[in-house]
Amino acid sequence: MGIGMLLPILMLSACATNNATKAPDANLSKLKTFYVVRVPEDERGIEKLIAARLTAMGYQSTAGDAPKPAAMVDAIVTYQDRWMWDITMYMIKLDIQIRDGTSGAILAKGEVMRPSLQRKSPEGMVEETLGVIFK
Amino acid sequence: MRTAARSVALACVIAAATLAGGCATPASSVAMTATPAASVHQIGSDVSVAVSGGKETASMGASQISDEAFAQALRDSIEKSGLFAKVSSSGARYKLTGFIGKVDQPLMGFSLTVKMEVNYTLVDTQSGTTVWTKDIASEYTAKTGEAFAAVKRMRLANEGAARENIQQAVAAMAALTL
Repeated sequence: MGIGMLLPILMLSACATNNATKAPDANLSKLKTFYVVRVPEDERGIEKLIAARLTAMGYQSTAGDAPKPAAMVDAIVTYQDRWMWDITMYMIKLDIQIRDGTSGAILAKGEVMRPSLQRKSPEGMVEETLGVIFK
Repeated sequence: MRTAARSVALACVIAAATLAGGCATPASSVAMTATPAASVHQIGSDVSVAVSGGKETASMGASQISDEAFAQALRDSIEKSGLFAKVSSSGARYKLTGFIGKVDQPLMGFSLTVKMEVNYTLVDTQSGTTVWTKDIASEYTAKTGEAFAAVKRMRLANEGAARENIQQAVAAMAALTL
């Protein structure tokens, strides 16, 4: 019965992963003001969660639908959230990109993937992703 | 009881074989190499290429684009196009760096669209100045007609998005007068 027990366990306990990468020469410590762009398909307000988390981390942050902010910022934040259903809907993956406020070039990116058994709330996913980016 | 245990074990072996047969393979540098649409203006110096931001493919995960495979495709595309006099491993007059900032992949679907964004920077190593920088976005949709297995469609979508990205980068650099 060994293999009979092992396979379902392996399939159910797929590992949660997180990682982040910075562009060569990118200096995130210089960034103080952020603007989070809402993904048009996002009706869950993830952009507000990201902006709120950045504010909690000590940055100035706003969010909105426009691809560029009304006032100049140091960085523009974009994201992609992926959802799955398992009893309830949950966020399985969150990708966040930190972009230069002027050129829009990606300075850093982070991603967190959490399968059903290791699911977190959207707030938890945002906190973990920004945590690995600004580590 | 023994028959039931044997059936479970057999079912698991079949499941394992099915899963193994569907293992993801990484994007290949050959498939990501771009063919220039037109002859390009040659920059009469050599260039070295470095890439970061890529990801290795885990056998049970989705197909990914590694730094090395993307860098090799970029080198091969530059050589094919004749854009620079030579592609050197190091110590070249120009250094081209590519940062893979985004590879947006769907979790599932019939037609799989991968959206990619790479930030390129070309530096003159003699003066230390950045002579060109550009953020290039590309995408590619792999349809079921191209491959039945989703893991293969994802690889094809990755490769297509990367190829299109490199094609745009080579075309943009060809417009430079260095």
